[in-house]
Amino acid sequence: MGIVFCSEPELHQPAMIVGWPGIGNIGVLTVDNLRQQVEAEELGEIEPWDYFYPNKVIIRDGVLHDLEFPTSKFYYKKLADRDLLLFIGEEQPSGRGRMYAEGGKAYEMANQVLDVAEKFGCRRIYTSGAAVALTHHSLRSRVWSVATERRLLSEMKSYTNAFLMSEVEGRQNIGNITGLNGLLIGVAKKRGFEGVCLMGEIPDYLSRVPFPYPKASQSVLEVLAAILGISVDMTAFDDMIDQMEDLIANVLRQFPREIRERVEQRKQEAQPEVITEEDEEWIKEHIDDFFQGGGGDKA
Amino acid sequence: MDEKIHFSARPELRNPTMIVGWSMDAGRLGWRVTDYLVRKLGGQAFCEIEPADFFPLNGVTIINDIVFFPESRFYACPEKDLVVFRSTPPSYEWYQFLSLILDVAQDYCHVREIYTVGSMIAMGAHTAPRQFFGTMGSPELKMELSGYNLTREMDFETPPGGRPTLNSFFLWAAKRRGIPSANLWIPIPFYLVSADDPEAYRGVLDFLSDRLRLGLDLTELDEQAGLQNEKIDQIRAAHPEIDSIIGKLERGLRLGEGEGEKLAKEVGDFLREAGNESSSG
Repeated sequence: MGIVFCSEPELHQPAMIVGWPGIGNIGVLTVDNLRQQVEAEELGEIEPWDYFYPNKVIIRDGVLHDLEFPTSKFYYKKLADRDLLLFIGEEQPSGRGRMYAEGGKAYEMANQVLDVAEKFGCRRIYTSGAAVALTHHSLRSRVWSVATERRLLSEMKSYTNAFLMSEVEGRQNIGNITGLNGLLIGVAKKRGFEGVCLMGEIPDYLSRVPFPYPKASQSVLEVLAAILGISVDMTAFDDMIDQMEDLIANVLRQFPREIRERVEQRKQEAQPEVITEEDEEWIKEHIDDFFQGGGGDKA
Repeated sequence: MDEKIHFSARPELRNPTMIVGWSMDAGRLGWRVTDYLVRKLGGQAFCEIEPADFFPLNGVTIINDIVFFPESRFYACPEKDLVVFRSTPPSYEWYQFLSLILDVAQDYCHVREIYTVGSMIAMGAHTAPRQFFGTMGSPELKMELSGYNLTREMDFETPPGGRPTLNSFFLWAAKRRGIPSANLWIPIPFYLVSADDPEAYRGVLDFLSDRLRLGLDLTELDEQAGLQNEKIDQIRAAHPEIDSIIGKLERGLRLGEGEGEKLAKEVGDFLREAGNESSSG
């Protein structure tokens, strides 16, 4: 498995921002939006066939024309103050039939991403993902952060709407970040990179719905823009959020009445802090029942 | 060679053709065709791929009291200079698995061509003339196959949300190595998928026998196909509703709601019962 480069730019200590799909596709949406806004150029890609099952065959006039795989691409942008390296994975490598990457394949891909970071002189890596939270979809998503080193935490706390994971109400000091958005930060630490994972809040009752959750991506992008010192246009996310309103309303309509009432209660109180642990357990249990019963297929 | 490949014999092969069949395509067509070739041509297993990296191995599957365990074996038929590969489709590490097959094909067997056998579910009637399709890895092989009863002009793109077949992945991997290869696709009427379709594998074997000069006597399959058609005629005579549904398919009409399911169930049940009776008698 190799990395094929289509360009070899000179970059000055770029920051690398990485996204793979996950809950609400929060990370990958964030990075892709940033890629479009800064008009990043393609740098190269990881050869896919050893990681993925193909997703499309094209046959023309009886002859195999092409076989397409999920892409894992690098992009770059030279900015006035800071250069950027971006990585977008269309899928997490599917090891042993699990939803999120783990084990040897995931570790290998994480190392390949970091090989590119190292090659271009990058020392700091950002990943992003979902923070499943006891919040309501009408509320602004907060951004939880974790880092590879204690000294990075005070910097992260200084950004508007950013919180340390341990500061979030009701959370213990211990947690985990599933899949490559988490694993990459671990491997980055092992290899001596600075690493930060920014997680946008998604309401617990939407965490198993197969839709993107752009509100969280928007919040993560705001924090990233502040970190990078760039200005970003939120119009695309605003439009997506408007479009998602109807879909979310549809999902909620299919929930049993008691779940809907408890969800709506969060909105009226508008303060996540007042949600009790019993509420959390009750909703988790009943949402699981709802999806296991096939209700999720109707969404 | 790779430790994931285990040789039990080293048959002498000149420049063979390889036929590939998987155990889980519709109607188990590839499995039946490769089984037929191994039986009729006296194929001997000589090599297998170890399962540990490619299958869950978290227990075994039992179907009708019989234990099923993943198998991935190469058989040699030296007299016909033919290699047959029969396998359970891998659950993961697909590219590595396909590469191992191609390592054996290329480095040990020095194959000249590879054909995979697969089926596709068709909405047509079993009485309609069967069309056999080929997807080739190169225009050169397409040209070479022009003298056979094979439709070679297919255009296809995987629809959104779908995934290519393992045979397409295999064809791509073989093409990357420059091995002339083709996928053979045979439509199976949807209501015969759970039962049997001797006419479909007769068609594949007819092509292979002709192309590879195997000299197969397919009379047995002609009889099986004829017998099956008679059985379906019996169902049609006994059940006017089934006759009417098949009649619609024969005239190219759309089926009404639930008609397809009813046809598949009734015909499938009948053929399986008839098969059990004849095998127990």
